[in-house]
Amino acid sequence: MKKQVSLSKEYLKGVWENNPILIQLLGLCPTLAVTVSAINGLAMGLAATFVLVMSSLLISSIRKIIPNQIRIASFIVIIATFVTVVDLVMKAKFPDLSKALGPFIPLIVVNCVILGRQEAFASKNNPGRAFLDAVGMGTGFTIALLVLGGIREIIGSRTFFGLQVLPDQYEPWLIMILPAGAFLTLGLLLGISNMYTDRKKRTEHESIIAHYKRVGREDIAEQLEVK
Amino acid sequence: MELFIIFISAALVNNFVLAYFLGICPFVGVSNKLSSAISMGMATTFVMVLTAIVSWLLYNLILIPYSLDFLQIPSFILVIAALVQFVEMVIKRVSQPLYRALGIFLPLITTNCAILGLALFGSMREYSFAENVVFGVGAGAGFTLALIIMAGIREELDLADVPKPFRGAPITLIVAGILALAFMGFAGMI
Amino acid sequence: MNKVTQMLLVLTSIGILAGGLLAMVSDWASPLIAANKKAETEAAIFRVQSEGKSYEKIKNAGFEVYKVMSENSLVIGYALVYEGNGFQGKIRLICGLTEDLEKIKSMEILEQVETPGLGTKVTEIPFTDQFKMLQTSPMVNMVKGVPPEDPNEIQAITGATISSKAVVEIINNGIAQMKKLRDAGGLK
Repeated sequence: MKKQVSLSKEYLKGVWENNPILIQLLGLCPTLAVTVSAINGLAMGLAATFVLVMSSLLISSIRKIIPNQIRIASFIVIIATFVTVVDLVMKAKFPDLSKALGPFIPLIVVNCVILGRQEAFASKNNPGRAFLDAVGMGTGFTIALLVLGGIREIIGSRTFFGLQVLPDQYEPWLIMILPAGAFLTLGLLLGISNMYTDRKKRTEHESIIAHYKRVGREDIAEQLEVK
Repeated sequence: MELFIIFISAALVNNFVLAYFLGICPFVGVSNKLSSAISMGMATTFVMVLTAIVSWLLYNLILIPYSLDFLQIPSFILVIAALVQFVEMVIKRVSQPLYRALGIFLPLITTNCAILGLALFGSMREYSFAENVVFGVGAGAGFTLALIIMAGIREELDLADVPKPFRGAPITLIVAGILALAFMGFAGMI
Repeated sequence: MNKVTQMLLVLTSIGILAGGLLAMVSDWASPLIAANKKAETEAAIFRVQSEGKSYEKIKNAGFEVYKVMSENSLVIGYALVYEGNGFQGKIRLICGLTEDLEKIKSMEILEQVETPGLGTKVTEIPFTDQFKMLQTSPMVNMVKGVPPEDPNEIQAITGATISSKAVVEIINNGIAQMKKLRDAGGLK
């Protein structure tokens, strides 16, 4: 069954095909809230990735001794523990960043991406695969946050990672760093990613029809075209 | 007066959904029908008020006196999960019609970040007990309001000719963005 | 029964391990967090009282205020931390005052949630610099659209009148509290 999936694919699926934000629409709260700048997005993404990887590793290693009835409770306790570790380390070592992200670090606990991966993957696979899956999902999550934060920072405050990239003559669009800008940017980004996926599907579909036409099965081609 | 400001701030000016982005998942998921939006809003408000009470007691009577505040996140989330389970059981016993109306929404509430967010904000801002309860009521009212407005818009949106890639979540987020702009008009009320 | 014991056993051991790990991390982190917080306050105090060399918290004031001393431990003024409601939420600021409370030496916003790009201009130099050597009596005044004339006047930020007014009000309230405290002998 699942064994056939190659290891590299286990990693890559989270990055694009099953991107937690753009495709699965999970974990939107932190995505929208912290992405006023690229650095915030990156920090949030890395914090969530750390929690995801550590929880996945631990849960997949002890998956056989956790009784089924209490698995969700155990997952939540384990996730909450790692989140607290991240929160404390950030407060101690990166106070500025911790201030900027505020309560959204503790809120990683209820990020559906993390609990979702434990339930759907880590509790059913060996630690190696769970690790790759978690790193992949984390990468996808971080990239989406970084892109969103980057777009909003460049347009909204004409800087990228704090460095000015647009000339002074450009008047920053304040809306981009307001809550409204977060909703609008993510909405447009989702729409564009849908458009891309749709087009890819359509070209695949057309190439299948062309193939049947080539081999002389007009009937099947016609049927597919109606679809 | 202070209590009134907290209520207005939580419900309108700093609306949980539109300004803090808490509870986006149910906001996108459940806001397509007005009737389910109302039920979800009410169930969430109910749990929020209970969470405000219980998390305050837990934080100020147990975690702080015994300097266990590093256990804040795990204990809050466990309390919320237990609370939701408990509410579900009570409603099932007491009123069947209410259970049928709210029942299916209750399990969803555990993973609603608005609830944990409420508990965390409350302890972060060092509210008194009364303030925390009012904060819970305000946040719940704000969440319900945002959900109902959104559901009303989405029922109309079903009839509109939205470009295909933008149907569903993307257009919902864009509408939410416009709503967030409208809610900015409430700023300055406090 | 066996199942229940296993469930209890697993949950308890997860709980104990989690608690133990957190206690360890927290033991390591809490002194660092406390030090960060202290360094932050200290830096803010010496920014608004630039000749200050040491400071001391005034106890029982009912609000946060520090006595700031020069090199030869003479009191050169106070650093007052005060907060109030802004446009969208709390504004918290620190204000360096001369010893007679008649002048503001410097002012800085510590925390705010104002509208980015408009209200947040209250944290920026052109606005905060207006408070340097500003007279505090009878009280700080704000004018709109015209340059300030009197030594106790500042100019509001265009497009952020409410935020500017909030800052002025917080300062006036804070200084009023300070004067009350001084008259009651609490500044000694």
